[in-house]
Amino acid sequence: MSGTVRATLERASPARIARRPTRPQLIKASVTTVLLLFAFFALPELLSLYYIDTMTQVAVYSMVTLALGLLVGRVGLFSLGQAAVLAIGAWAAARLLFATTQPYPLVLLEAGLITMVAGLLIGLPALRLRGLYLALITLMLAGSITVVLATVNFPNGGHGFLGYNGGLLHIPPIRRPSIAASDPAYYRFSVVIAIVMFALVLAHIKTKPGRAWAAIRQSEPAALAAGINIWFYKLWAFALASFITGVAGGVLAGAIHYLYSINFPTQDSITLLAVTLMGGVFSLWGAVVAGLLYQFLPALLNNWGVSADWLIILFGLGVLQVLTTAPAGLADQVPRDLRRLGHLLGTRIRRFRRGPGGDGA
Amino acid sequence: MPPWVDFEPFIVSGLALGGVYALSGVGLVVLYRATGVLYLAFGAIGALGALIAWSLTTRAGAPGWAGWLVCVAVAGAVTLGYGLLFGPALARRDPLIKAVATIGLTLILYGVMDLLWTTSGGQARSLTLPTDNGGFTVAQIQVTWTQVIALAAGVVLTVGTGTFLRFTKLGTAMRAMANDRDITATLGVPVRRVEAAAWLGCGILGGIAGLLLADLVALDATTLTFLVISSLAAVLIARLRSITVTFVAAIVIGLLHDLLTPIASLTSYRDMTPFVIAAIGLLVLSRHQVMTQSREEA
Repeated sequence: MSGTVRATLERASPARIARRPTRPQLIKASVTTVLLLFAFFALPELLSLYYIDTMTQVAVYSMVTLALGLLVGRVGLFSLGQAAVLAIGAWAAARLLFATTQPYPLVLLEAGLITMVAGLLIGLPALRLRGLYLALITLMLAGSITVVLATVNFPNGGHGFLGYNGGLLHIPPIRRPSIAASDPAYYRFSVVIAIVMFALVLAHIKTKPGRAWAAIRQSEPAALAAGINIWFYKLWAFALASFITGVAGGVLAGAIHYLYSINFPTQDSITLLAVTLMGGVFSLWGAVVAGLLYQFLPALLNNWGVSADWLIILFGLGVLQVLTTAPAGLADQVPRDLRRLGHLLGTRIRRFRRGPGGDGA
Repeated sequence: MPPWVDFEPFIVSGLALGGVYALSGVGLVVLYRATGVLYLAFGAIGALGALIAWSLTTRAGAPGWAGWLVCVAVAGAVTLGYGLLFGPALARRDPLIKAVATIGLTLILYGVMDLLWTTSGGQARSLTLPTDNGGFTVAQIQVTWTQVIALAAGVVLTVGTGTFLRFTKLGTAMRAMANDRDITATLGVPVRRVEAAAWLGCGILGGIAGLLLADLVALDATTLTFLVISSLAAVLIARLRSITVTFVAAIVIGLLHDLLTPIASLTSYRDMTPFVIAAIGLLVLSRHQVMTQSREEA
């Protein structure tokens, strides 16, 4: 039995089934390319500084929701502690940026790796738990990390291991890469980093780890029976998600220049899970939608003078709606509804053209 | 290490806090066992009730007891409403999804509270119970009646709920549903009605806990909403099953949390107590991993 399942898993590799891309795939690829080019070249020219900064945040949080969506949607691990992981990444990056003169991308890589190690240390024992217990223990750990961060604070150019000096009168800003010192340039920089992270996840999903995760999500005993090392692949997913979130934390550090522990409350982890579910966890687009929901909508509402509390209420309704009726989130639901609407309109128009008599009740 | 005298007042406040955690924990365990829902909005409904009570008593000039009754009634009604609306729709999903759905309710309530009772204004609200003023002294420690009530409520409700589950018909039905919902339904138990009773009971406990915590800790939407995370720790150590273990764990967490206050090197880390205890407890308890395929654990 193990052989069959394994063979199915191997065969399911899209690379082997279709070497030549099909038409929908081509359309999808070209739409993605156009959108990316638009986001990279046109967007900073069109938007005001306020919205450029907002879009930088969208890029950052798309990476965070990408990581969370990977855990939730691909492997079935619910984490309620992602904001704390992001804080670890931001802390590590800020510490390295103050202490060294390394190039920014290298710092991002290191911050990602440090966060990954931290995530693994947390994940190793926590992964013995499953489902609800795992989700709750991540919430507990996030709570602990928040308390620790509130005490040790973020590095602000001080000395010592923690790099914090409470008595500093003039706090130096966290530096940005020399090629991306201005806000539009930093936005482009963060988009590039986000693209790299999305590509990293895509590469995982399309290959062996992705298939192993899919098997684990369906049924752990079946995956075990198929000879998949459940523990190893779960840990791998945890490590990858922590790495991506750590990198996102590093990008965030440069984006906002000053970090305070009050920016990373435990409830953010809960909201992050909500927007990730709303965006959709089964598609990479879901992460982008979630990033927009989490950062762009509040900025828009703020600009209109509407309280962000309405958004929290919307997120709550969204979670309930996703869990009861639309498990694949907005990334799946909106195109499907649009297609259905188009179809409906198409038939109506055709019927109308055939003659007004053809129109029924 | 500070002298023992410094710790003494914190024993009382710790026991009171532990009592409220126990009360919350018992409410959560009962609902979980009857419906499979871990009710993460427990703190939010308490906060909503407490804020409404505050508005009624300080703004509308209603008498105190009316405010408290409304607080408990609102918490019960919101919980019952959620249970009736979303309970059946999610009944067959796994506990994790049910728990995440209550996060949706938490966010809605939190948004509404932040909208109606803005916290950023800086004006601190407080809800004081008349029992704050009265009190007595035990071995030179000042004890207020509110603290006594908090601990007593924890004890009474733990014992009461335990008795209720053991000896009444409704309690037996709830225990049966915890074992197997389908078989219980086949045996002629009105499953929906029993679930509704559990929702209402949990909501009422949430209201009481909200009222007590608003007095003992702070009347603030954010604090009260997310304080549920701390009481979750006790529930987790009890693995969402035993009421007795929940009670003991809650008291230990409350006591330890407050006893760390006078120790200078640890005082800023004392809010970690529930998390650390829960994490250690869970990890120790999960040493022997069994791969189950049952619906409860899946």
